Amino acid sequence: MDPVALTPVSSMRAFLRLALFGIAVLFPSGYAKAQNASIAISVKDHRFQPAQISGPANRPLSIRVRNLDSTAMEFESVSLRVEKVIAAGSEGVVNVRALAPGRYEFFDDFHQETRGTLVVE
Amino acid sequence: MVSHSRCAAKRRCAFFAALSAAILVSPLAARAQDADAFHEVETKYIFGSFTFGSSTGIEGEKAFEPETKANFGKGGGHYGVGQTVLEYEYTPTQYMQIELGPSVSFYNIGGVPGLDDRNLATLNGFEAEFRSVLIDRNPSPIAVTLAVEPEFHSRDETSGAKVVNYGLEIKLEADAELIKNRLYWGFNLLYEPETTRADFGVWERESTFGVSSALALQIIPNVMIGLDLWYLRHYDGAAFNSFTGDAVYLGPTFYWKIAPKVLMSAAWEAQVAGHEPGVSSALDLTDFSHHRASLLLEFEF
Repeated sequence: MDPVALTPVSSMRAFLRLALFGIAVLFPSGYAKAQNASIAISVKDHRFQPAQISGPANRPLSIRVRNLDSTAMEFESVSLRVEKVIAAGSEGVVNVRALAPGRYEFFDDFHQETRGTLVVE
Repeated sequence: MVSHSRCAAKRRCAFFAALSAAILVSPLAARAQDADAFHEVETKYIFGSFTFGSSTGIEGEKAFEPETKANFGKGGGHYGVGQTVLEYEYTPTQYMQIELGPSVSFYNIGGVPGLDDRNLATLNGFEAEFRSVLIDRNPSPIAVTLAVEPEFHSRDETSGAKVVNYGLEIKLEADAELIKNRLYWGFNLLYEPETTRADFGVWERESTFGVSSALALQIIPNVMIGLDLWYLRHYDGAAFNSFTGDAVYLGPTFYWKIAPKVLMSAAWEAQVAGHEPGVSSALDLTDFSHHRASLLLEFEF
């Protein structure tokens, strides 16, 4: 038997200190609060309409997604880092950070063949 | 004995050189395939789970991730040690990801010089990880994420002896897309200071420095194979005070997005070169193991 006795309270306290240090180092200092540019898109028959949308660069975006199908969909994008489940016959708003010019893919995670592109310019 | 190890190391190098050549050449043939079948991927686990990609996940995403890392082979006898972290992963913003979870360790050690025999499975501490985007991929061709991982363990990760151990793993995790949606390069830089109280109540500090380079190729949609190369240096003291040994690990990686909300990532690496001051061996089997492996599953919910 090893002579060292564990002290769970002090161990946990030290661990929490390390964890708080991690949070302090890593939390971003804050978002720049600029006016969101709004973009509308619909899904019908498991297709985005239109399949390509565009928005301005360097401004946060609000993508308003209307699901006109009779089943739920999940708007998702790896490069935009967003996802949102939208029930059948309803709509949802997806907020996206300010982006650099480029093309960003998005898709319906429940119907992977349903895909579209956001062009930021 | 030494020359036999060197021959084995050369054979392994030849195998991995052939594998890396295959990975580098196959995209040329693959270009002819239907490009529409391949879509962008989250890069965090595509290089196995020794080297990490820069992705920090999707805002609001929650996942359960059992992640196992195992080490095999020391100087003699039989040695197999593993640790499974049962992680809860959450992405609160588009810039940051948090992971928390307890760890469970497994020890199967017998006849290894310098280590007590041990057969044990035990709850062994708690780990957290905070990851934050430093550089986004677009417009930069390289994306970089900073990861800070505080750890507490109640068992020594090598021997299984009872200890009080705190570590802080700090990593820069970078990647670049070499061929759109097909071929990725990953790069990690590691600094991990640790402090451990074992017998006699004395705190001992140590630190590890590491650098890695990895390639991952999406061979068919949602399946990637790759190669991971790590160079690790171990020191006594928290700030690289006294060098105790180094090792080069090389091995294949595998990534499979099994379903939209389920993935697996695996790696197997062998120590192909190493050095321990004062020891005439082609490997450092005191500070590092001969082989190491990782297996991660992710269940998003």
